[in-house]
Amino acid sequence: MKGLGTILKDYLVLVMILGLALVTAIIQPKFISPANLVNIMRQFGPLILVSLGMTFVIIGGFIDLSVAGTINLVAVVTISLIDPLGQVGALLAGLCLGSLCGAMNAVLILTSGATTQAEALFITFGMSTFYSSIALIYSGGSTMHFWDLKSPPDIFQAIGAGSVGPLSVSFVIFLASLAVLWIFHTKTAAGRSISLTGGNKTAARLSGVPVSRSIALIYTIGGFMAALGAIVLFSRVTTAAPVIGAGFETNAILAVVVGGTTLKGGKGSVIRTVMGVLLVILLNNSLNLLGVSSYMQWAARGAILVFAIWLDNRKEVQGNQL
Amino acid sequence: MNKFYRLFVQQKALVAIAVILVVMAFSGSEFFSAYNLLDMLNSSTILIILGLGVTLTIIAGGCDLSIGGILVVSGILSIQLQNFMPMPISLALAVLFGTVVGFINGFLVVHQKTEPFIITLGMGLLLTGVAQQLSDAHPVPAHNPDFMAIGNGYLFGDGMFTNGQFPGIPNLVLITIACFVFFAWLMRYTAFGRNLYAIGGDYDVARYSGINVVKNKWLTLVISGTTAALGGVLLSSKLNTGSAIYGDFTALVVNCGVVVGGTSFAGGVGGIPQSVLGLLLFGMLDNAMNMLSIPSWYQLMLKGAVIVAILWLDSYTQKRKRETV
Repeated sequence: MKGLGTILKDYLVLVMILGLALVTAIIQPKFISPANLVNIMRQFGPLILVSLGMTFVIIGGFIDLSVAGTINLVAVVTISLIDPLGQVGALLAGLCLGSLCGAMNAVLILTSGATTQAEALFITFGMSTFYSSIALIYSGGSTMHFWDLKSPPDIFQAIGAGSVGPLSVSFVIFLASLAVLWIFHTKTAAGRSISLTGGNKTAARLSGVPVSRSIALIYTIGGFMAALGAIVLFSRVTTAAPVIGAGFETNAILAVVVGGTTLKGGKGSVIRTVMGVLLVILLNNSLNLLGVSSYMQWAARGAILVFAIWLDNRKEVQGNQL
Repeated sequence: MNKFYRLFVQQKALVAIAVILVVMAFSGSEFFSAYNLLDMLNSSTILIILGLGVTLTIIAGGCDLSIGGILVVSGILSIQLQNFMPMPISLALAVLFGTVVGFINGFLVVHQKTEPFIITLGMGLLLTGVAQQLSDAHPVPAHNPDFMAIGNGYLFGDGMFTNGQFPGIPNLVLITIACFVFFAWLMRYTAFGRNLYAIGGDYDVARYSGINVVKNKWLTLVISGTTAALGGVLLSSKLNTGSAIYGDFTALVVNCGVVVGGTSFAGGVGGIPQSVLGLLLFGMLDNAMNMLSIPSWYQLMLKGAVIVAILWLDSYTQKRKRETV
């Protein structure tokens, strides 16, 4: 029998952010204007794609700080390949590059035999620096624009600003990725193995779950989704700077954790992450409308990350006592 | 062969320092001039001070990634508070700020049993935001010559190399040596220090042996917060400015430097002298790359690669140990 208190505790972060949205709507009626709601839907694009990939990494019991570096690298490389390879070629090359970055993280983690989140955190942070520096060297530190290209990149322009019926193209990409990843996670053996790996690695290995394959898979998915996010991101802003991905790793982790996927691994779903991303975007939007400086928004995000993890941990502790 | 492997794994820092020294000996640069060596030592001091506190947290089985945030906030505070109060009080308050943050970290990590690395990462994020707000994302200049003298002064000399005279010892090096001696004593000769090794080695065994694990482990985070704030104040004094950007990379570099030295994330092993070597390595790497005029992006790449290589080796050693047992 769940009391109201337990339910409130389970969804405290959610309740808090909805409360913030309510306060914002009262103080600043612009919050619920159609223009602002469209704006919120627009922001959904890149972050949700990156967070969906991050969900798998966290369910698998690891963490991936390299997405910022991957986004930087994929963005500058893809845009530079549009002229020589054509648009489809560049798109595919970008996605392959992202998967490759993810696979490289996986190779490092597997060969070193890292089993804890802390080890993965440091290794992927190092790799993030590595990928970012390659992006800087490759682009010479300069920002590349769509109008510098010889031919108009209409596929990328469609990804950035086009629409299919009432929905924007980036939203369709999001729905498609969500469907594929949800089916993959819940209906396939490989997807279930990821949850089992995250729950308890030793137990999973002893019961014949391919743990190493799961680890390789989660990082490759993470890298692929980061690349997809990078492509949607630079298509929307029509420029690719080698620092375009900064902050995505923390926002993605925040979205996953706030959504309710536990950092301990094993539990969580992509649907929860969608909710988490919505809340993070709502938070940013509310703080913007309330006139909070962008610096304090960083601080607020850090505070909510700390709070959400603490809360997640409290649930775990109380669950063990029962 | 096996012997060489063991030396390489246990003394990663010494091996790497030897490699840098050999490379620099052949590069024909001014690396070995007295001026450059003193400068290198002086610029490594802040990292070493931060690393001393972090070593304690890692030996006790935790880690502290909030030090970058603490460094910048206390650095900015130490300058801004001087507008309202005398300098010594403002410096003391800035250091106290780090102690308070460390106390909060300790509460969350040890008392509430959360994962140290992700909590302190979030705390670092929070504090970086606070630092940007405080400084409006601009460097904050200091106007007090006494304040500047702390980080730039010399004892027994004026810092000049003219006529081959003794240039004196930089204040920062003196402060670092004092901190080093204190921490080395703390870890080696006090019950607190010995208990930390026990806690890092096996938390539950330490608890059943009657060690107050919560209090001791909590204290490590308080101490690392304090040393980070001290480092922030000294950095501001040395540069005569406080800025929110100095902390960006620091937390990771310091934690890695400690691990390179031989203090493992697995907890229970390592020590203060090893950490100093590990952090000197990073100071030396920076200096050597500058002397060879390597462009900054390639420096970033090299540093990222070094960090990955070191942590890979740390995890790999743990794996080998698990498999042999």
